[in-house]
Amino acid sequence: MISHRDSNAQRIAALDERAEALKLKRGMGIADARAMHPSIDVVEADPEADRRLLEGLADWCDRYTPLVAIDGEDGLFLDVTGCTHLFGGERAMQDEILTRFFQQGFDVRAGLASTPGAAWAAARFHGDRIVAGGEEEALLSPLPLSALRIAPETRASLESVGLRTAGAVMAAPRAPLARRFGATLLLRLDQALGRLDEAVSPRLPVAPLSVERHLAEPIVLTDDIERLVSRLAVALKADLERRGEGARALALLLFRVDGVVSRIAVGTSRPMREPQLIRKLFHERLTALEQAIDAGFGFDLVRLSVLSVAAFDMLQGDLTGERSDDDADIALFADRVRARLGEAAVLKPVVVESHLPERAVAAVPFAEAPQRRMPPKPDRTAPPMTIFPPERPIRLFRSPEPIEVPATEIPEGPPMNFRWRRALYRVARAEGPERIAAEWWRQLPGEQEAPTRDYYRIEDSEGRRYWLYRQGLYSSASQAAPRWFMHGVFA
Amino acid sequence: MAISAVARETVFALRRQIAKIEGTLPERLEAPASGAPKAISENVRSGFPSGIAEKQIPGDAAGSDITPEITIVRRGLAVASPDAFLHTGIERLDTALGGGLPKAALSEIHGLETRDAGAVAGLALSLASLILKEKQGLPVLWIGTAEIFREAGFPYARGIHALFGIEPEQLLFSEAPKLLDALWIAEEAARMTAFAAVILEIRGSPRLLDLTATRRLHARAQSAGRPVFLLRQSGQAEPTAAPVRLIVSAAPAASRETLAGPLAGSIGRPAFTVDIGKSRTALPGQFTLEWNPDEHAFAERRSREERATNSVAVVPLSLRGADPAPASGAVLAFPALASPAPASATACDQPSRQQRPAHRSPRRAG
Repeated sequence: MISHRDSNAQRIAALDERAEALKLKRGMGIADARAMHPSIDVVEADPEADRRLLEGLADWCDRYTPLVAIDGEDGLFLDVTGCTHLFGGERAMQDEILTRFFQQGFDVRAGLASTPGAAWAAARFHGDRIVAGGEEEALLSPLPLSALRIAPETRASLESVGLRTAGAVMAAPRAPLARRFGATLLLRLDQALGRLDEAVSPRLPVAPLSVERHLAEPIVLTDDIERLVSRLAVALKADLERRGEGARALALLLFRVDGVVSRIAVGTSRPMREPQLIRKLFHERLTALEQAIDAGFGFDLVRLSVLSVAAFDMLQGDLTGERSDDDADIALFADRVRARLGEAAVLKPVVVESHLPERAVAAVPFAEAPQRRMPPKPDRTAPPMTIFPPERPIRLFRSPEPIEVPATEIPEGPPMNFRWRRALYRVARAEGPERIAAEWWRQLPGEQEAPTRDYYRIEDSEGRRYWLYRQGLYSSASQAAPRWFMHGVFA
Repeated sequence: MAISAVARETVFALRRQIAKIEGTLPERLEAPASGAPKAISENVRSGFPSGIAEKQIPGDAAGSDITPEITIVRRGLAVASPDAFLHTGIERLDTALGGGLPKAALSEIHGLETRDAGAVAGLALSLASLILKEKQGLPVLWIGTAEIFREAGFPYARGIHALFGIEPEQLLFSEAPKLLDALWIAEEAARMTAFAAVILEIRGSPRLLDLTATRRLHARAQSAGRPVFLLRQSGQAEPTAAPVRLIVSAAPAASRETLAGPLAGSIGRPAFTVDIGKSRTALPGQFTLEWNPDEHAFAERRSREERATNSVAVVPLSLRGADPAPASGAVLAFPALASPAPASATACDQPSRQQRPAHRSPRRAG
């Protein structure tokens, strides 16, 4: 028995058959139930775990159709349009689903109909029924109002006027119903009867292409999975070629015998369709996830889906075969590193127009960076933008590190010595300042203006060169004293 | 002459044999040019019973009369041609390293403390910049652990472009959460020919980066023919498979040069102090290199005493170009015949070309 807290009292949220046999009911107070039967076992409800379980089941149902939606707290919608013939017809498919769930230890009701509303009612009020097209009205008429998926208040008010079955509502004139009980009632009714379309919104985006293989003997070894991936990729290649596309994101779904589904996704930086390359990417990913994937008793269904595609440009190769495509090599290398170590494992600097040093170069993941082009030839005739470009360090700290500056020679001048990371540095020479102000055009309204920075190039007594800055100015006593930061290192 | 030819034949036969044993057939086996026979004849005199004596040629030839035509024989590398080396442009350093930094190899660059990271990175990038002069357009991959990028700062593409001429599009960074991942990336990258150079930066002396790990990196770099620079910040000198280890620290920069002379108190071009920590051929030495960001080339800075004896005129020429100081003494059309022509030191040592065979053969025959 499971309890939950409802309006400051512990009540029964769900109960099993034996508890039902004891004449306990949902919504009854735990204290009352304990008084009736002191030996009952009460467990606190955990809605999040229920949700996770339902999502796991939804993942598992992905083997029947890609269109799986979660309905409320305890239901799943499967849009099996066009999928039933793969499992030997509607009846065989429903039987298989019920058997498999039963083997996993779930008590499942199923209904199959041509509208979601009718299927919902069939599952909840019949348990195992297939409703042929056009029979929805016959199915719903004898059922109580709760088969119509309407709010409890609407149901109570309908019952108070004597409409106790769905058939009675159907027979009643529509206009007064809509006026009195709102449009939702009729909408639900029309949807259940197929007069209005109702779309089931799937949980996961539907992959444009996917290939799967059912296995008579479950596989466990990573090598077997990889081999299977390359076979599936061969099948995918033909489809991709026909469409003139290449895969940009791929997902491998491993359905374990006992219902757990592992989903492994890889991305590519350029469209890809070669089975060997796809296999390499999954090899890295599987190596990285070796600990995370539990093969258990093995996987009996493996599916390879293409999540997103892009146009694949055919390139004329070199007849001699000597010229290697460096960019393709690098893209594959970056993809492999990304598959193993995550999105930000290979970064590419992109120059941004900004005066702030930390904003002037953005490190973006390789896959998102603009395609590399050949470095532009320096135009010798054009005059340089600036004759003396400002000196910039070769290493920049991600966040400037505060340093202690005991004294400066003149108030607005460079420090004489400073303490950074608990070590004292004596300044031998200094250049500067270079004043860099905050970017007011990026400032949010109402935000206080960031203080300006005065950058100094410093050489310490041992010849190391640093980039320091002072944030703020030495001014009247009203403002706080400026702070010093270490921002970069020169060669 | 006939006997020297026989001796040369013997040398080549032995060399071929060594190469066969080592499994690497020499690339260049043509006869050394006429400028070189001195080194070989020394070996002939020493008897060279085995190939080991033969291998020592660069050792004793390095200082004195190494010429571009000589075939350099080194252990492990068998016969390496001169273009297997990256010339730093500093003659003393190139000579000390036995021709330059090997291009297809792992090279270690050490910094004694993490705060030297700027100098270490600067030297590695300047070497990469020299490589990019030959392989234009190829990218440079810089791999580092998250630790070192946090401690020493992330490479800053704008500064690198300004100083070393490496375009931001040519740079790729890889930040690995753990050293093991960084090593994996480096090994995968080192076997590719699509990168101009691979820089792997780590901190300290971790146990993972042992002789085996460096050997793997070195072997991949050798087969791909691309350099791998292993930057180790605040690391100890440990056994390594890299043929060269340089120890780098920052050197005070010279002042900026202006038209009116050096500008006092200014910080000029980057300068590095380079010690050769390990090299098969080198004697230990210390060099102060200065990087020229305009020409992307190194220049060596000599100490103050050496600079004093610089041959460049200290006093500038007069602007008008007229009236040099009159030569003292009488001006004659021809020099006096009585005084012997001053001979240079090298000319004294070696007999002239015609004399040589007659001068040498009898001694060798004996």
